[in-house]
Amino acid sequence: MNVDKKSVVPYLYITPWIIGFILFTGGPIIATILLSFTKWDLITPPVWIGFSNFIRMFKVGSEFWWIIRVTLLFTIFSVIISISWALFTAILLNQKIRGTNIFSFFYFAPAVVPLIALTFVFQLILNKELGIINYFLSFIGIKEGPNWLMDKNLVLWVVTVLCIYTYFTGQMMLIFDSALKEVPKELYEAAEIDGANSIDKFFKITLPYISPILFFNLVTATINSLNTSFTLIYPLTAGGPGRATQVISLDIYNNAFKNFRMGYACAEAVILFIITVIVSLLQFKISKKWVYYEA
Amino acid sequence: MSIKTFILKILTYTLMIVIAIIMFFPILWMISSSFKPLVEFNSYPPSLFPSKIYLNNYIELFSQSKIFVYLRNTLILIIGNTVGTLISSSIVAYPLARMEFRFKGLIFGIILATMMVPSFVIIIPQYILFKEFGWLDTFLPIIVPAFFAYPYNVFLFRQFYRTIPKELDEAAKIDGCNSWQIFLKIIIPISRPIFITIGVLSSIFWWNEFFIPLIFINSEDLKPLSVGSYSFSRTMFIVRWDLLMAMATIMIVPPIVLYLIARRYIVEGIKTTGIK
Repeated sequence: MNVDKKSVVPYLYITPWIIGFILFTGGPIIATILLSFTKWDLITPPVWIGFSNFIRMFKVGSEFWWIIRVTLLFTIFSVIISISWALFTAILLNQKIRGTNIFSFFYFAPAVVPLIALTFVFQLILNKELGIINYFLSFIGIKEGPNWLMDKNLVLWVVTVLCIYTYFTGQMMLIFDSALKEVPKELYEAAEIDGANSIDKFFKITLPYISPILFFNLVTATINSLNTSFTLIYPLTAGGPGRATQVISLDIYNNAFKNFRMGYACAEAVILFIITVIVSLLQFKISKKWVYYEA
Repeated sequence: MSIKTFILKILTYTLMIVIAIIMFFPILWMISSSFKPLVEFNSYPPSLFPSKIYLNNYIELFSQSKIFVYLRNTLILIIGNTVGTLISSSIVAYPLARMEFRFKGLIFGIILATMMVPSFVIIIPQYILFKEFGWLDTFLPIIVPAFFAYPYNVFLFRQFYRTIPKELDEAAKIDGCNSWQIFLKIIIPISRPIFITIGVLSSIFWWNEFFIPLIFINSEDLKPLSVGSYSFSRTMFIVRWDLLMAMATIMIVPPIVLYLIARRYIVEGIKTTGIK
């Protein structure tokens, strides 16, 4: 163990990260904040316009309120669905039966393949005329199945549910799976002697025991659903129909790289950054208060 | 076994099979569709299996798309990024796991915090920076950052290094090794599993990654498979489901094969993420 606290050696090893942090993460965060106060088309020099971008964004009836609405709906429900799905499948994989290894292979398989390839097949499966889903619906008497990806009242829910196929849901399933294996068996045995049923056991033992992991997954699911939203929604609907699935990630992309409104896109990125910081801090605070940590 | 536990077991199995079908169905449907001629996509009712295995979709795909160019580009991105992150992240994680120095806690805290920054917050200044460098529409903006350590991989390396007994370092130090020699001769050989884990995870990640190359690459000849397949799907006049499913199938086979071979490493790597 190197106890010489004045040595420069440790810092030499870390240098690549420090350079990378300044150039590719820390620097860009500051640059995003600065650029959010400008108007810039990438061709003429940026013009300092103060809070104009933010004022425009939060004006009553502005399109940004709609983006916020879609983003919040997508994020909140995709987090709820992906976490519940991950926990549910992880619980199934922890049943005392044979073959869980094979099942876990199939449950995690969609997570390792490119989401873009899955979006191609989702378009086929959900197609109004050719899709297998509407074919199944015709069995239960629904002659005219919905146009899943073109119906502006449905589409957001469809892409939200499709989150169960993403990498981050699979990742959470595996993390839950190993957390569940850590729960001491004696606790269950003791509860059984006291006459507890499986629902009691889940809420009184399992859930408190895995709560630190649950909160960890809540934070990562929120960040990841914000990130993954683009790769899922852009190829499927490109934000449409209309603006029904225009989440903030798509809007930042369109403004920055299609319309070259760099300043405005950066202002949106700042809002996204603030949301992420608040979510992380909030969940961190709540977890300190509520989460059960082993003494 | 009582009747009750028997019924419970049947129910559990049924549920598990249903979920396996839900999860694997898109992949299955994609593969089966890739062997159907285009007319069969319009047939009603849709059939789970093609009437006969029809290979023309693949032959047509190979001649009509730049799939081999895309494939080459994807491989370049995978190799560049994986080599880069293995070298840089393994080095950066070393003092974080095995040395004491000022600001260590702060630095590790920042590394963990940067894992939480959505890429959309930092992508615009990155784009401007690489534009200044004259790197747009090259592989450089996608590969060079890997040589400056990705926080997630630094974290995985650190977690692994911490499990190596400190006595090994002490013994080597008595033999006159400096920290770099300890790193090369002791830490790296023992850390083979984590190198494989990160190598596999990084390969899968860059095989799949869509957003970053979409931003930085414009030329058709430089697009990786993810972005190339997307632009292929957009250039068709009528939707060629047959070709699209063949392309999608080609895209899912390598990660599935890698997952079959290296499943243990993938699962271990991801489970480490949950340990704080």
